[in-house]
Amino acid sequence: MISVIIFEFPQGWLVAIPLAGALVLSLWSQARRKLQKSQILSLVLLRGLSFLLLAFLAAQPVWVAKEPPSSGAQSVALLVDRSESMALEGPEASRFKKAVEFLRERLLPAFKSANLPVQAMLFDKNVEPTDGAKLASTEPKGERTNLGGAIAQAIGSSPQPPLAVIALTDGAANESADNTRALTALSEAGVPFIGVGFGSDQGVSTISLRAVDAPPAVPTKTAFGISAQLEMMIADDLPAIELALFRDGQMVQKKSVTPGKGSRLWLESFQVTEEKQGEHNYTVQLFPPALPNLKCVNALVNTTVRIADDKELRVLYVQGALTWDYKFISMALRNDPTIKLTGLTRTSKQAIFRQNVETAGELLNGFPNSLEELASFRVVVLSNLRPADLAPAQQDVLARFCSELGGGVLMIGGPGTFDSSWQGSRLEQLLPVVFSPGTGVQGLDRPFHLQLTDEALQHPVFQVSDNRPARDVWAQLPTFTQYGRVDAAKPGAQVWAVHQTDDGPTGRRILMASQHYGAGLSAVLTIQNFWRWRLAKDSEPQQFDRFWRQLFRFLSEVGRQEVAIHLPDQELHPEMDVQVTLEKQPNPKNVTDPNRKFFVRVQDSQKNLLHEESVELEPLHPVDFKFHATKPDVYTVSVSDSLKVPIASRAVEICNVNLEFQDTARNMETLRQWASVSDGLAVKVEDCRDAADLARAIIAKVQTQRQIRQHRRPFGINVLTFAMVVGCLGGEWILRKRLGLV
Amino acid sequence: MNRIFISHMTHHASHIMLLGLMVLVLWHPAAFAQGNDDKQATFFMGRVRYSANDGNDCSGVGQDLMKLVSRASTLKIQEERKVKLTDPDLYETPFLFMNGHNDFVFTEAELENLRIYFSHGGFFFASGCCTNPNFPKAWRREFNRLFTNEKVKRIPYDHLIYRSFYNIDRVRCLNEPRDIQLEGLFYQGNLVAVMCEDGLCCAFSANGTCNEGKGISPDDGQKLTLNIAVYALTH
Repeated sequence: MISVIIFEFPQGWLVAIPLAGALVLSLWSQARRKLQKSQILSLVLLRGLSFLLLAFLAAQPVWVAKEPPSSGAQSVALLVDRSESMALEGPEASRFKKAVEFLRERLLPAFKSANLPVQAMLFDKNVEPTDGAKLASTEPKGERTNLGGAIAQAIGSSPQPPLAVIALTDGAANESADNTRALTALSEAGVPFIGVGFGSDQGVSTISLRAVDAPPAVPTKTAFGISAQLEMMIADDLPAIELALFRDGQMVQKKSVTPGKGSRLWLESFQVTEEKQGEHNYTVQLFPPALPNLKCVNALVNTTVRIADDKELRVLYVQGALTWDYKFISMALRNDPTIKLTGLTRTSKQAIFRQNVETAGELLNGFPNSLEELASFRVVVLSNLRPADLAPAQQDVLARFCSELGGGVLMIGGPGTFDSSWQGSRLEQLLPVVFSPGTGVQGLDRPFHLQLTDEALQHPVFQVSDNRPARDVWAQLPTFTQYGRVDAAKPGAQVWAVHQTDDGPTGRRILMASQHYGAGLSAVLTIQNFWRWRLAKDSEPQQFDRFWRQLFRFLSEVGRQEVAIHLPDQELHPEMDVQVTLEKQPNPKNVTDPNRKFFVRVQDSQKNLLHEESVELEPLHPVDFKFHATKPDVYTVSVSDSLKVPIASRAVEICNVNLEFQDTARNMETLRQWASVSDGLAVKVEDCRDAADLARAIIAKVQTQRQIRQHRRPFGINVLTFAMVVGCLGGEWILRKRLGLV
Repeated sequence: MNRIFISHMTHHASHIMLLGLMVLVLWHPAAFAQGNDDKQATFFMGRVRYSANDGNDCSGVGQDLMKLVSRASTLKIQEERKVKLTDPDLYETPFLFMNGHNDFVFTEAELENLRIYFSHGGFFFASGCCTNPNFPKAWRREFNRLFTNEKVKRIPYDHLIYRSFYNIDRVRCLNEPRDIQLEGLFYQGNLVAVMCEDGLCCAFSANGTCNEGKGISPDDGQKLTLNIAVYALTH
């Protein structure tokens, strides 16, 4: 390494002139005192040296080390933008596809022939390394563009900074928090930034269907709404656009919508009434006008709705082997003609046993493999099952049954069911508990009591006696002897019952829990021999029976809420009043249902109460109210009955319009600014007719930087110099004192 | 020297004996039998001890019944329990099996417990041994004392119990030209107790050798018994 000292303020040396004058004066003074030559020389040298050091420091010396071309393999950092704006389609392909094509077919071969290794990264609001395979499979969906963060990461991610940072992007950066850090990194490392701009210089207006909402289950001859959320970005005054509703592939309704101009998010809905029972797939399709600068990002959304009058509630009970639970639950439901239990049991490795099926062919092949086969049931019970009993595809169908159709899922079992074999499965995702990584109970359990939580004691499912408080009734249940250990309840799950004494990682061991999953509800009962409650000598079997009837009704009716919560057509953005409509659903089982008074609450995601009021609701007489959404958030509207028991809820998401589409024009100015601070380049991709030229320009920049790379640091102001100055002056003073000059 | 030699031999002999015992224990078939804490075992049976009978008539019958059930289905089994009708364990045993040769009488306490047991969901299976008529006659008499409005009666072939696992159209008696039907007691319309007088337990246990050529054939006996067990688990 070649090192030199340069002076940033050479004029500082002029200080030496008056100092020299002072030195001469001192020399003359000492000569007059008739001192010996050696003494005079010593005094002059000491004082002169300290004056020389001071003049040296005044000139601001800097130590510069010039680094020769590195023999190590430094690479070029390549950043590929995968934010959502790169998904905008151009004349031939999307911006992202063009960037990948440019990289693969032109840039990489040029770097390869110049022996320059490349380290590629994908960035949006985050950065991550990538390779060819990942690049090919990536979809540009990033919510933000943080170019500064990507640059800083590219420079700081390896011990040696890259030779250059090359960004393939449209330049539409909307995050700036890391810009200062990136600028510092670029200048300290002396790394040039080269930006290649993709897209068009004119902004693109976008329109898109973002989501669709509909109730999961509706009775026949009852109107319901299918509501689509539309988003429009920086559009001029657009003409009317067409929206169509398809039912099972057939168009059933069409409407014309005037989107206006600017950027907005709003709802458009279709009212539907079905005469017959069945399950239908509804699709909303957007037909945008054919304008040159208008891009449609997503034109289709769909949802499934089950139309059923549900005179009877069908429960499918699936067992890996025959259990006593099935017998006693069957007994509990025997006297209720509105609940029908269908049994599906594995009796050997190859054989299944069906009970109470409606047709000869129902469940002939075992557990359903499609949503249609499960649609006629409202609740599915899984008992004594192992993972081998339910294929991943079947678990997926079960999850959709719960989330889309609003069905209830209950898993019953003991240590042989609730163990680590279900960990990571689709079924575990659906259920309200986290399975233990352990292998289950070791050894025989001792008898234990079940203890209801406070939430369960208030819950209508657990009110099994008209004459006695729930707490007393449940406290007198017999003991149970085996249970499956689960580790914890998931966030948002409700724990209904815990072990009397045994503790788990998060408190008392969970015996019963539930959670909302999509439109439905899932629950677990981890006691193996719950039937002991009914058989016990001092028990009242009708309490056991009532509990199971109430539990099944609760699990089945979550998807079909007593009160429907609608959002009428309106714009949705922060700092606005959100309109909500409540409508009591007719109850075919109880037409003269007297319940009219309800309580409605609105909370934000932090559970802060924003709005609360009581309302009177009657079927076919909807009631409106408003709440103010101050910020982007997910707000929960919940309705409780007169006893404050929750009966319906709905999440309402209020968000800002998509930042990625707020400014979709290619921003070369941003790229030029980054290039200018780092002595780099900014070019439009269409100006790179010959990528080899671009590659050569990049390589030239890189090689220049390689040659000129310097290390600079201030020199002189340190302990050594200070010690020398003090030492010289101190030594001179001591000598003068000895000579009697002081 | 001799004393020392004897002491060594004694010391080593005890080690050898201990090793031998360990080998015997490990290699005994029972060591591979299902433990009674098998987490997946859900079917277990109470063997009724009654009157002077200690529940040990044809002692292997209980185990044979449970093995039959587990061979024909994925049910795993636990050990049978000996249960008296006055024991608290009665209400922890959802399936009871009773067999015997001789007459018997239930006490009032036993009858009262049975009434509660049936009303709470328990199931009772009984079989006369070796086609001896004394036991079935006593069983009908005693079970007729349970409920005023319900009497023991024959279960027709169209009942679900004959189709709960195997489809059984009819069961022929081996030594007489007649059909064999189960008899049962109903409570609130539900079949809660079943009895067979024709040596059903002898048919599925010991391969009918103790009742050879009489009553129910081994094949029919096994099918009928499994049907009863499955019916008890599903109704």
